[in-house]
Amino acid sequence: MDDLFTQATLYANDYVRQWRDGGGRTVGYNCVFAPLELFEAAGLLPYRLRALSNAQTDLADAHLSRFNCGFCRSCLQLGLDGAYAFLDGLVEINGCDHLRGAFENWQYVKPTPFFHYLKVPHIVIDDALEYFADQLVQLKAALEAHFAVTIADDALRAATARQARVRELLRRAYALREREQPGLTGAQTMALVLLSSTMPSETFIALLEKELAARENAALPAPRARLLIGGAATDEVELLRELESLGALFVTDSLCYGTRAFWPLTEHADGDPLRVLAKLYLSNTLCPRMFEDYPARRAFILAAAERARIDGAVFVHNKFCDVHGIENVLLRKHLEEQGIPVLLLEKEYGAHADRGRLKTRLQAFLERIGRP
Amino acid sequence: MTNPAHQGLFERVANIFSLVDHIGDTLSDAEVEGLLRVLPPESANSISALMAPHLREASLVFLRTLSTWMREARAMKAAGGKIIMVPFNFPPELVTAFDNAAPLTVEVLSTLGVVALEGQGERYWDLAMGLGLPDHACSSNTIELGSMLSGEDFRADGLISAGPGGCDANAKIHEFVSQYMDIPQFVLDKPVDRSPEAVALYRRYYRRMVRQLEEFIGEELTEEKLRRVNERANRCTELYYELWEMHKVRPCPIPNLFSLFVYATRFSMWGTDTGVACMEKLVAAARARIQAGAYPAPREKARCLWAYTSIYYDFLGLFNWMEDRGITHLADALDLFMPQPVDTTDRDTMLDGMADRAWDMPMTRQMGGPSMSAAWIEDVLWAVRELDAEAVIYCGHHACKQTWSVVSILRQELMKQAGIPLLILQTDAWNKSMTPIGVVQRQIAEFVDQVVAPQRGGETTRRRRRRPADSSPASST
Amino acid sequence: MMSAGIDVGSLTAEAVVLRNGDLLAHATMSVLPNPVDSAREVLGRALSQAHAAPADIRYAISTGYGREKIVEAGLAQENVSEISCHGYGAHCLAPSVRTVIDIGGQDAKVIRLTPEGELQDFVMNDKCAAGTGHFLELMCRALDVTLDELGPLALQSRQPAEMSNRCSIYVETEVIHYLQRGVPKVDVAGGINRSMAERVLALVRRVKWESEVMLTGGVAKNPAVKAELEKMLGVRMRPVKIDPQIIGAYGAARLAQRKGGAA
Repeated sequence: MDDLFTQATLYANDYVRQWRDGGGRTVGYNCVFAPLELFEAAGLLPYRLRALSNAQTDLADAHLSRFNCGFCRSCLQLGLDGAYAFLDGLVEINGCDHLRGAFENWQYVKPTPFFHYLKVPHIVIDDALEYFADQLVQLKAALEAHFAVTIADDALRAATARQARVRELLRRAYALREREQPGLTGAQTMALVLLSSTMPSETFIALLEKELAARENAALPAPRARLLIGGAATDEVELLRELESLGALFVTDSLCYGTRAFWPLTEHADGDPLRVLAKLYLSNTLCPRMFEDYPARRAFILAAAERARIDGAVFVHNKFCDVHGIENVLLRKHLEEQGIPVLLLEKEYGAHADRGRLKTRLQAFLERIGRP
Repeated sequence: MTNPAHQGLFERVANIFSLVDHIGDTLSDAEVEGLLRVLPPESANSISALMAPHLREASLVFLRTLSTWMREARAMKAAGGKIIMVPFNFPPELVTAFDNAAPLTVEVLSTLGVVALEGQGERYWDLAMGLGLPDHACSSNTIELGSMLSGEDFRADGLISAGPGGCDANAKIHEFVSQYMDIPQFVLDKPVDRSPEAVALYRRYYRRMVRQLEEFIGEELTEEKLRRVNERANRCTELYYELWEMHKVRPCPIPNLFSLFVYATRFSMWGTDTGVACMEKLVAAARARIQAGAYPAPREKARCLWAYTSIYYDFLGLFNWMEDRGITHLADALDLFMPQPVDTTDRDTMLDGMADRAWDMPMTRQMGGPSMSAAWIEDVLWAVRELDAEAVIYCGHHACKQTWSVVSILRQELMKQAGIPLLILQTDAWNKSMTPIGVVQRQIAEFVDQVVAPQRGGETTRRRRRRPADSSPASST
Repeated sequence: MMSAGIDVGSLTAEAVVLRNGDLLAHATMSVLPNPVDSAREVLGRALSQAHAAPADIRYAISTGYGREKIVEAGLAQENVSEISCHGYGAHCLAPSVRTVIDIGGQDAKVIRLTPEGELQDFVMNDKCAAGTGHFLELMCRALDVTLDELGPLALQSRQPAEMSNRCSIYVETEVIHYLQRGVPKVDVAGGINRSMAERVLALVRRVKWESEVMLTGGVAKNPAVKAELEKMLGVRMRPVKIDPQIIGAYGAARLAQRKGGAA
């Protein structure tokens, strides 16, 4: 696990390097709507961008403003300062205003060899599904043209099966985390989810199977409180570790570098593989950038709360993130109505100086809900 | 009796505006003086800007237009009809077309609160913040919605959201209000690109919304009803371009505030007789000023286009202050809704046309484009060239994170493609407490004097000499 | 039985020593660079006032931003957040208090309590000078008065000057501008205190506050801010029987006493 942790804190970790050394090509994306199966079927490694608490944003700040979220500024910084030089291309998704800005500036200042914009609708109706399926056709064509590959239906089906296995194993990891005597901390689980989107699915499956077997009987000390963490783009493993040092455990989450990246994506269907993918991603992904399905997002969180028997929930958002900043207030109302105490935290992405503030609030929250 | 300060924003604003109905077509200076003495400072500031002699008559018509808009909404509610809240980036004439519904535009109401109320909109902003909403939400919608959320205001029957893809803050706050208050929401999503398939899809999305509204309001939107609003909207469109053309004259004879009058009309009474009358008045006033060769300052120092919104918490301190110094406010991006006539042949042509108009609403058109920066740059450059602007000002409203995220690209491209400098301010355009107007004025003055004027050099003299002999040089009225 | 509470914040450190729950001694000082040194020093001062030795303390609780390090150094058995300590301190002083408004030098917090004195909700501003004691310090500099003089001066104002900005830097500019225009100092002071109270009010609104309300922290000593807040909230503040600056340390000591008694 220690090695996995170390690998999860690197941009170009050993797995990415091995892939590159073997002549493999890598495409970066940032949003949970990216159809990983399509990249894998093209023989490419889909790599989910992350900022890993990087708070140095001087290059990015010349382009994005101080009114843009720190996570997106950090991602842009890493794009501009060469940390992501190992990417052969980028796929932009209209996840939020800040991310779109980050991608536009990245392409404006330092274009990547391959760039494609995958446009995702904000509602789930048949017409929108049709449009999204067509978007996947266009993405497929763009990948095929640029990387001189053919994406066969069989390869897509095989990749779909592998991703389904990844999701199944991640659910098992969550079961370890969510059980009465947790076998994984929140920080450890986040590291696993982060790793899952930096290596070929086959490698990850083997790694995770081994890890799960090893941790089957692991038992962490009983936490002071069992918490759910939800909210905005949070890939700050260190932050979670520090918050958990107060004695509570994040036994489940609704983060996009957490359950939202895989949990809901389990619908099985037959038919044209691209259409299957379109339906899988558009109809099931739970993200506050979608409209008309807030009740589904709330239900998802309440189900996690029940499954993991939480004592309280913590929702975070990066300063200036409207999508989560506003949704979190709604979630607090609806969870509190169900008797679940909620703490809202606005954070400065990656800022060490900010951690004391966050810890004070979480500690007070634990004292509030705590059994002395 | 309820303390008026504890009423909702809409009630207070509508009451104040109803006073305009008792005023004639003009006011004497003495009457304006009298009015200013009884008003609280914030309203007096706005009224004194609007009652400047050179725009007084047009302002009165404009104020009556808004008063009518609010009166009709109140009457609709009283008669048991439905009030549908719309965002500024959605053409309200769709709602107006119903016999049993009236539109109220969130951002227009927030702005009117800021313009007319004692304490501006801060009370309602604070109420929204009291619910825990983040302080980076957008005051343009949070002020009015804060009033509604507090329970002090009327309760809308439905909410239209056309923000997805154009502005997260806008789209999410609408969803928040809908979920928090259990008010039905009608979402108009927009495909990102403008391919024929995407346009067709958008038209289907639009029709879906029309069907939802018909069902909710319990009324069929007949061809006749659609034609009624579209014929008037088309007339407004013609008048819009007449005014647009007149903005090209140097020095620009059109008062700075007309830019705001135009889009406020677009966002409220477009497609009604009242809206047509307002636009006609603006055109007539502009034409008279052209004929008189009028310009409010001794000389036009800089022709400016505002890249996104303007600043609304101090009319006198912004629009009139610029005017007095020869700084022309030609338009801002909210004027860039690029109206086109709607084909009124039948229901289908009209619905298609209305959907296309919705696509072109400000923000949707620019920020909802395949590239925010590219679509924005294209429109701003087009307007710069059309109106012969020499400088562009970005107001830097803190909540406009989408424009903030690409404004550096706009700045570079404006300079590269047209040699036009961009001033970037930082404000809350609806709240004076973030950046004092004095700071804004200083930055604009420095920009004009240090950056724009030297670039302009002798060119102005040359152009001004070419003016027709019959138009007198600048007049100060 | 003796217990102690140590509150080391970013500007000042306080220690409170109790004997059987009664306030025996307390000390306040400016912080030293290291929070552990501050804790040792301020506790030492309080102990010497109480004619007691460290070994006499059965249980000590630390709070404030240096709270963890103080436990690590062995000066306290446990650390508790300043939010809980302030809430519990206020509750011990007046059990009917439901809302505590604490305005310190660098932060402001509003705490809502259950009838039993448990935390129900809280909000905190520790990022922006507006609405904290630091704001008043900045304005005193511009007005050329001391912090102690500011409140009484403001109370004389009949027509407080309107401060239209929230940002401390811009308010400072407004203050200078008013003084240059010849606006009386009392009215400028009145405007400053009202502006301060408005910022605090914005924070108070974020918790569903209830009466009774207690104002604590250094700024509670400013009668004008207190009066403005009372007017805005329409309540009378519950008087604080001890130095309002030591409520955090006092709450920590009372919690320590409870724990020590149970231990």
